[in-house]
Amino acid sequence: MLKREWKNLDKFMIIVCVLIVFISLCIIGSATHINKGVINYDFVAKQGVAFIVDFMIVLFFSRYDYMKLKRFAKPLYTVNLLMLAAVMFVGTSALGAQRWIQLGPITLQPSEFSKLIMIVCLAGILSDKVGKLDTIKSILPIGLFIGIPFLLVLKQPDLGTSLVFLAIGLGMLFIARIKGTLLRNFFAIGVILAPIGWHFLKDYQKARISVFLNPNADPFGAGYHIIQSKIAIGSGMLFGKGLFEGTQSQLNFLPENHTDFIFSVIGEELGFLGCIFLLFLYFILVYRALIIARECKDNFGRLLATGIVSMWSFQILVNVGMTCGIMPVTGIPLPFMSYGVSALTTNMMALGILLSIYMRQQTMIF
Amino acid sequence: MLEALMKKKNQDGRFRYLYWIIVGIFAVLICRLVYLQLFAGEYYHTLAEGNRLRAIPIAAMRGIMYDRNGQILVGSRPSFMATYVPTKNGMSDNELKELAGLLNVPDDKLYEKVKKVKSSYVPTVLANDLTPDIVTKIEERRNELPGVSIDVQPIRYYPYNEMAAQVFGYVGQIDEEDMKRLEGQEGVSNITQIGRAGLESYYDDLLRGKDGGRQVEVDATGSPVKEMERKNPIAGHNMHLTIDLNLQEAAEKAMDAQVANGIGTQGIAAVAIDPNTGAVLAMASRPAFNPNWFTRGITEKEWAQINNNPNHPMENRAIAGQYPPGSTFKLITGAAALELKKVTPDEMIFDSGRHWLVDMRNAGGEALGWINFTEALAKSDNVYFYEMGRRVGIDKLAEYARMFGMGKKTGIALRGEATGLVASEEYKQKVFHQDWYLGDTFNSAIGQGFQLVTPLQAAMIVSEVANGGIQYRPFVVSRIDNLDGTPYKIFAPEQIGTLSVSKSTLDLIREGMRNVAEESGTAGSLFADFPIQVAGKTGTAENFSGRDHGWFVSYAPYDHPRIVIAVLVEQGGYGIASAGPIVKSMLEEFFHVGTYADGGLNAKNKHKNDSAQETKKEKQ
Repeated sequence: MLKREWKNLDKFMIIVCVLIVFISLCIIGSATHINKGVINYDFVAKQGVAFIVDFMIVLFFSRYDYMKLKRFAKPLYTVNLLMLAAVMFVGTSALGAQRWIQLGPITLQPSEFSKLIMIVCLAGILSDKVGKLDTIKSILPIGLFIGIPFLLVLKQPDLGTSLVFLAIGLGMLFIARIKGTLLRNFFAIGVILAPIGWHFLKDYQKARISVFLNPNADPFGAGYHIIQSKIAIGSGMLFGKGLFEGTQSQLNFLPENHTDFIFSVIGEELGFLGCIFLLFLYFILVYRALIIARECKDNFGRLLATGIVSMWSFQILVNVGMTCGIMPVTGIPLPFMSYGVSALTTNMMALGILLSIYMRQQTMIF
Repeated sequence: MLEALMKKKNQDGRFRYLYWIIVGIFAVLICRLVYLQLFAGEYYHTLAEGNRLRAIPIAAMRGIMYDRNGQILVGSRPSFMATYVPTKNGMSDNELKELAGLLNVPDDKLYEKVKKVKSSYVPTVLANDLTPDIVTKIEERRNELPGVSIDVQPIRYYPYNEMAAQVFGYVGQIDEEDMKRLEGQEGVSNITQIGRAGLESYYDDLLRGKDGGRQVEVDATGSPVKEMERKNPIAGHNMHLTIDLNLQEAAEKAMDAQVANGIGTQGIAAVAIDPNTGAVLAMASRPAFNPNWFTRGITEKEWAQINNNPNHPMENRAIAGQYPPGSTFKLITGAAALELKKVTPDEMIFDSGRHWLVDMRNAGGEALGWINFTEALAKSDNVYFYEMGRRVGIDKLAEYARMFGMGKKTGIALRGEATGLVASEEYKQKVFHQDWYLGDTFNSAIGQGFQLVTPLQAAMIVSEVANGGIQYRPFVVSRIDNLDGTPYKIFAPEQIGTLSVSKSTLDLIREGMRNVAEESGTAGSLFADFPIQVAGKTGTAENFSGRDHGWFVSYAPYDHPRIVIAVLVEQGGYGIASAGPIVKSMLEEFFHVGTYADGGLNAKNKHKNDSAQETKKEKQ
């Protein structure tokens, strides 16, 4: 039995994921200058250990039936709200935002975990409503369901994560066969409400969004990252400058480039070919997840996988787009790439869920 | 396996939509990368490699401080600074050594500084206020010193050096803590100067202004080739002080003269107040320091000179020094006795040289015989005021002291103000766990024992007596301007209380104070033929750790007060000899009499030769 389960593991997906994390560790190393005089393996070591631990746990738990998660959907939702509220009261702030909770030596970023929790909770609710989402009345409770954590995260303020919530919600509603006219109406309302929402943004968020249209308007403040990131990626050209050789990252033109701006380092040091290879890996990852969603027989699993697909695709779009200067700077990490134990663990758990869904399909097929 | 999945029919057309959306996302990203890395790659490559972008901050001009007549007290001047950005290969040891030699700093200090530099985008300042010949030498060796540039920025300048240094405060280069504190604020750069003490610190947010910057492309040697963007700095708010430059200078000069005579070497404080508003006309403290030292980066030697001075040159003694008020407290004891009807102005009390209940005597062992209130005040008779203290009682005495403003901060907008201390039974019990004796009351009545005031408090007490009992909050800044010169904030005189003491009582105290400065009074020798009628009170405060402190508090003119002055000379002995001459000089300047009779021309010319000329030169 065990042997057969192992056989049914989606090894292709695992290989892709390991490859991405391997590139990530190299680039984090480069971005935190492990090659320079001051030896600083902290980041690489932390991320590497987290990956290995996460990996074991994921392999172990992927054997369990993901359907069991459905029962946890409601309590998880409560936990999620409590966790997000806790950030407001006991959270540590950095860069003007309160996003972290300090638990002894570990710093948790609850908004990362809450993305996956949202997926599980939404899948739980929507799985019983597939095909019945055709009136405003049927959508309202779901809007509220997404709305509360959305506002809590927005308040931290973490515009990026709250937008990920929206993307997840939209993707899952879409696959839950929400009526097409309703979806169109939502977009119309969204367009109308956007200018009002603008007033609720913090000044620095407004600056980030307006500056991406013209980064040179504020080269010392909000535009700085965008300008330097574009120079970094562009100067990588076809082949890149080689690992550890990027002047932009090595000379600290780009601070914090092991987290949100890690793609700039890839662009500079590994060049166009490196970027295309990485995007290819991401495409495989997302494509496999989409196939898993499509092939899944039950609504819950299908929605779970769809939520994960939405989350990853949106984060890839916004993060890479931001480093290339075609998306505003919102602080969304690149899945499996950006440094951050909370984010990595979340993505590994998402992978675990996909593996479990895949395995169930195979068991049924054979 | 994959094929099997692919072959399966779409169960849901919506997955196909989702698939195309995802394909679209990747297509957009790849297109963008094709543009950035393949089409525009060369352009960005040159930006990153050969030519570099730099963001060179432009320091905002700190707000100017003017005196009450519009004279510049604190301004800015240009300064050459050496800046550094790390290049790809870094600086070699030889290059570092050469640079250290040029800048005249120790090798290891420079090495430490250079090693810490992270940003290649914003240059880091290595040395400030370079002389023209050093600038030339560095410019000549530009090719041998990769990453080093010369930049000109305004820095704070105090044209009068030590003058009112503790009031103005000083500025220093921004440090990591400031950066953290000011994070997210617009216009803060790595060359921002931060107020560290005095007004510079108190009003730092307003004085600082907003730094701008230039984004430039530089060539391999680091010289700008092309300016791409510019953001102009915004100057800080200018401030108008209530200080009178001439009076301040007169005070400082008179203090220095005393110090030169060996009087007050441990410390002197002087405050002048306008009793009709509470405006501070002058405030000076000795020993002092030169705030210009901090602006250009203080040397170790200079810092040691300030830091190792046991008399704390950076302390503003006028507000932070606490001293027994000595006989100046008799104004309060007298007011309490008259107001509570414990004595009539005409009652004669016999001074046999010592009090009949406790063996406490006059200073110097004199005995004045039968005297009344004004006489006792004019001659500062201890025995009379022992008796007043006994009649009033310590509780009432403490109540009156508090009413006059002792024991709490005046609330002046400066940091580091002390509260002083009011002697009371509770205080002795609480701190020393001892009972109160009549001797303690006697001591308290003549301003000894536990009583403590700051020179500013002493001035405010006299101001209340002089203006008929109105308590103002003393203030140093009268107006803060907007950039266009319109007022940003105006500080009007602020009345914070009224003495509940009758006019007749205050009249009697003022009369006594006038008699002090007349021939028979304790300050008669100094003011006998002064053209303006002065009222005052001397004080000689016992000091257990050295010679007595000398006080002189005064106001003038007697019948229409325009100025209040309080001077304290630490370990100066008799107030009349130590503090008196300083007060007299200040009054002469204020009323343009005596040595300042010709409108203070002598003094003004002299100062022009000294520092104003220098200022002008620097500005050109």
